[in-house]
Amino acid sequence: MIRAMIVINNQGKPRLSKFYNYTPVEQQQQLIRSIYSVLCLQPENVSNFIEGGSIWVRQKTYFSDSRLVYKLFATLYFVFVFDSSENELAMFDLIQVYVETLEKCFSNVCELDIVLNYSKIHTILDEMILGGQVVETNSEKVMQAVEEISKLEKVTAATKLISKSTSVLWG
Amino acid sequence: MALSGMRGLSVFISEVRNCRNKEQERLRVDKELGNIRTRFKNEKGLTPYEKKKYVWKMLYIYMLGYDVDFGHMEAVSLISAPKYPEKQVGYIVTSCLLNENHDFLRLAINAVRNDIIGRNETFQCLALTLVGNIGGREFAESLAPDVQKLLISSSCRPLVRKKAALCLLRLFRKNSDILNVDGWSDRMAQLLDERDLGVLTSSMSLFVALVSNNHEAYWSCLPKCVKVMERLARNQDIPQEYTYYGIPSPWLQVKTMRALQYFPTVEDPSIRRALFEVLQRILMGTDVVKNVNKNNASHAVLFEALALVMHLDSEKEMMSQCVALLGKFIAVREPNIRYLGLENMTRMLMVTDVHEIIKRHQAQIITSLKDPDISIRRRSLDLLYGMCDVSNAKDIVEELLQYLGTADFAMREELALKAAILAEKFAPDLSWYVDVILQLIDKAGDFVSDDIWFRVVQFVTNNEDLQPYAALKAREYLDKPAIHETMVKVSAYLLGEYSHLLARRPGCSPKEIFSIIHEKLPTVSTPTISILLTTYAKILMHSQPPDPELQNQVWAVYSKYESCIDAEIQQRAVEYFALSRKGEALMDILAEMPKFPERQSSLIKKAEDTEADTAEQSAIKLRTQQQASNALVLTDHRPANGAPQVSQLGMIMVPSTSNVDQNVVDQPLTHSNGTLSVVDPQPPAQDHAPAGDILGDLLGPLAIEGPPGVSPQSELNNVPSHEGTLGANDALALAPVGDQESTVKPIGDIAERFHALCLKDSGVLYEDPYIQIGIKAEWRGHQGRMVLFLGNKNTASLDSVQAKILPPSHLKLDLSLVPKIIPPRAQVQCPLEVVNLRPSRDVAVLDFSYKFGTYLVNNRLRLPAVLNKFFQPIQVSAEEFFPQWRSLPGPPLKLQEVVRGVRPMSLGEMANLFNSLKLMVCPGLDPNACNLVASTTFYSENTRAMLCLIRIETDPADRTQLRMTVASGDPTLTFELKEFIKEHLVSIPTAGKPPAPVAQQPQPNIPPIASSDPGALLAGLL
Repeated sequence: MIRAMIVINNQGKPRLSKFYNYTPVEQQQQLIRSIYSVLCLQPENVSNFIEGGSIWVRQKTYFSDSRLVYKLFATLYFVFVFDSSENELAMFDLIQVYVETLEKCFSNVCELDIVLNYSKIHTILDEMILGGQVVETNSEKVMQAVEEISKLEKVTAATKLISKSTSVLWG
Repeated sequence: MALSGMRGLSVFISEVRNCRNKEQERLRVDKELGNIRTRFKNEKGLTPYEKKKYVWKMLYIYMLGYDVDFGHMEAVSLISAPKYPEKQVGYIVTSCLLNENHDFLRLAINAVRNDIIGRNETFQCLALTLVGNIGGREFAESLAPDVQKLLISSSCRPLVRKKAALCLLRLFRKNSDILNVDGWSDRMAQLLDERDLGVLTSSMSLFVALVSNNHEAYWSCLPKCVKVMERLARNQDIPQEYTYYGIPSPWLQVKTMRALQYFPTVEDPSIRRALFEVLQRILMGTDVVKNVNKNNASHAVLFEALALVMHLDSEKEMMSQCVALLGKFIAVREPNIRYLGLENMTRMLMVTDVHEIIKRHQAQIITSLKDPDISIRRRSLDLLYGMCDVSNAKDIVEELLQYLGTADFAMREELALKAAILAEKFAPDLSWYVDVILQLIDKAGDFVSDDIWFRVVQFVTNNEDLQPYAALKAREYLDKPAIHETMVKVSAYLLGEYSHLLARRPGCSPKEIFSIIHEKLPTVSTPTISILLTTYAKILMHSQPPDPELQNQVWAVYSKYESCIDAEIQQRAVEYFALSRKGEALMDILAEMPKFPERQSSLIKKAEDTEADTAEQSAIKLRTQQQASNALVLTDHRPANGAPQVSQLGMIMVPSTSNVDQNVVDQPLTHSNGTLSVVDPQPPAQDHAPAGDILGDLLGPLAIEGPPGVSPQSELNNVPSHEGTLGANDALALAPVGDQESTVKPIGDIAERFHALCLKDSGVLYEDPYIQIGIKAEWRGHQGRMVLFLGNKNTASLDSVQAKILPPSHLKLDLSLVPKIIPPRAQVQCPLEVVNLRPSRDVAVLDFSYKFGTYLVNNRLRLPAVLNKFFQPIQVSAEEFFPQWRSLPGPPLKLQEVVRGVRPMSLGEMANLFNSLKLMVCPGLDPNACNLVASTTFYSENTRAMLCLIRIETDPADRTQLRMTVASGDPTLTFELKEFIKEHLVSIPTAGKPPAPVAQQPQPNIPPIASSDPGALLAGLL
């Protein structure tokens, strides 16, 4: 199963983290830090897989038999932590699907979109992964579901929207 | 951008983002948390929108690593909100913040259930997602039926059903009882027919969980999986949007093939054919293309197909095709493929015999050891380790050694350990092994665990040919300007033991060796100094005649450390100093270390241990198990009688050895007399303990799995007559001898007399200066009559004569009255009636005491009313023998045993022995001249007359072992007879039998022991 999905920027700030096994908050932070410390040292043109043993020396019991696959998009690392019951390349593809879905959602997605649409990226993730298992790999379907949710929101919520242009202010 | 429609949240996130450092961030977050807390407290003023906003903020803060426990309740309460946006936040945030054991979650079960069984699909989805992410046992119990209903319902939209499948998977993991195996397998099979790929993908995940738990129940689903594969890979019969870069849903393909790997095999030939057709298509039809994403997807499928092919253990041809593919992969540019290629090759080593084909790729694998990617380097190390055998060990280990110099620090320890193990397991010759380990220590001393150098010391100690070479190598390394401390340890040890073998070489005189080792002393730590001190003592010992200059140098070192703060060093310094003044006696004290008992390499064990927590499919683990037998076999120089242990002790013998020697030689004599057996075996052992400790200490660092110092102690007790037991226990051993002089010593060996009487019917049972006890016996069937003759040898009378019989349960013994006083020079006869009730080897004991003057003598004597007394030899012919033999088919009436450690005797001697035991040897029955057949009739009240048949098959090449078959009509008899014969074959009766019951004590007050077998009890006491 997938044990965690983490998005970290290239400065080590978490942008999204979801653990599918209960993990106390301190341990989450520790894991994120140790993952980042390995990722930021990865040279170019190496494989996208990192073995758990080489990262969490101290958390060995928690994440034994786990691997990590990552992909760097601009300033963001997208990371999946998974166990031996998953196929490595399939996990790698899943990152691609997630990012492609974000792209469809935000067109020309950048870190800022992800930061400011914190709730939305959670919703998208929940449409793709449930309880550590892939629930949908078709980004069209994911989009449909997310749009349905958006409509529901619109009906009930009377809130101001933040457009891309205004968000540039904080860039 | 509806979902992000919370200005407050965005503003907050931006502010946190703009914080320049962690401290500012903390301040900002604390301020916000304070704000949220107060707002939650006065709930009245909170609009649903605000509530929602604050809960999102909390989740964000939580992600940053702050504690938000106070808000759990708020998040959970949102779940029961009537409107969608609040409910959604409640569900998402709850599933991030809480775990299944959280109390608040229990409060929500009802609300969640209402959403699941409600009509609102979106609510259903939210609830299913929450339960799928964090549902626990309680959820499983209360929600499983509802979730099942959703999954199989035909009216539900796929959107809901796919979530229901994964939700059910979570609940199943929490409580596997929720799915009734019988009923569910049919439903599962139906689910695998699903057309909607989203639902099918989730169902396949559920299916994988189910088959991994119990594949037996789901055989009916196997053809369905093959159908899914055919549909995807062959027919490509899926909607366009489920192809990913032209590949039909790689995730579903991968999951399906994963599921198939949980079935042990595919038996149905047509299904098997169909599956292999698909697999073949995948293996052959995957090309490397430019588009990276397409490449990844197609290779995801391909690697899973490879795993499935390996699992199905298909024909060799297909296997070599797989290896060829992998060989291609490990050389491609794309690092992910290289990585997975190496990994799968390692797996391949485990499942099938493709070792030779994989070896063709060795060069490429070695190249990968230098890959810029550490993940790839690790894989390649694993693979090299797994594929190593005698033929390529030299190449591989040398590569590893070379790599060690440049390897990442994170990998060095593992690398060193693996190189050491491979060198040990597959060394073409031992000198190479020594080279490798010394190089290892030289190059990566920090990463060489103690186990590694202990092991090389063991090898060198146990292989004499290796000793001069190892010493020379150690000497060479000492010439290097800066060497690792471990190298100091190992070379000091080796040179201490074996430098005298180099004495003629230039630079290897004791003095030179001493000075080059001593140079290192200022740089090393305390434990190493201890080793060096021992080395000096050994060097000193080997320089004969003593070199006064060297002596003075060493003594100077010892006297310097005499006041060392470290107790260990101080003790060594003081003791070695004293010992080294003993002159030639030093030779005996500091003799060469004995050979180590052979044991499993702790290195290999360690490697197995570390692998225990990596992957179930660790190829290495499996192969180490298979190859354990390939490990270098040390010549086992350990004679059965424990002599080496004694020499081990010899090394630590403490002073005053030589002058006790003489006394101790007497000891075995007295001991075999039996008088000494009063001495509890424990005291000598305890007395050895301090000696053992010194031993343990010297050996301490070498004791890889247990201090070898332990075994000698126990062995010692078994060989008390060995001269090696002197020294340490001399004082104690001698003390009783001194005492004995004031008491009464028996004449002759009591045990020997007993054994003689077992074979004949009259003779002396016991004799001392004052009394002689003779025996005369007659046997008829299961009854017997013994007469004890008690003769007073003195001119004074013997008082307080007492004789009591302690009968075993199988004998009825009736001793007539024994007079209290035996007059001078008189002989008293005491008849003893014996009835044998059933077969048993237990022995009756005569508890006998008398008083002579001030001496009180008490003895316990075994009575020769033994099993063979109730035998009547009988000659049987072939016509009688074979039908009887065949009619007793096997255990428990006919027992067979291979007896080892038989005392060597010719066949004639054995026949004599049997005849004297009243087992009639019947020549000519067995055509094989090396075999022996005997028969006898046994009598007891229970069994009456019972024929016993015995066959002994000897091995002319090895007289110490034979095969024995014993048959009779009574299982107890068969067993007892077998054991009885064994006792006579295996041991020399005088020594090997349980010690004679000769407790002779100055005080008479031995409480009578009530027991079924006093003989055995007595033996136990002794």
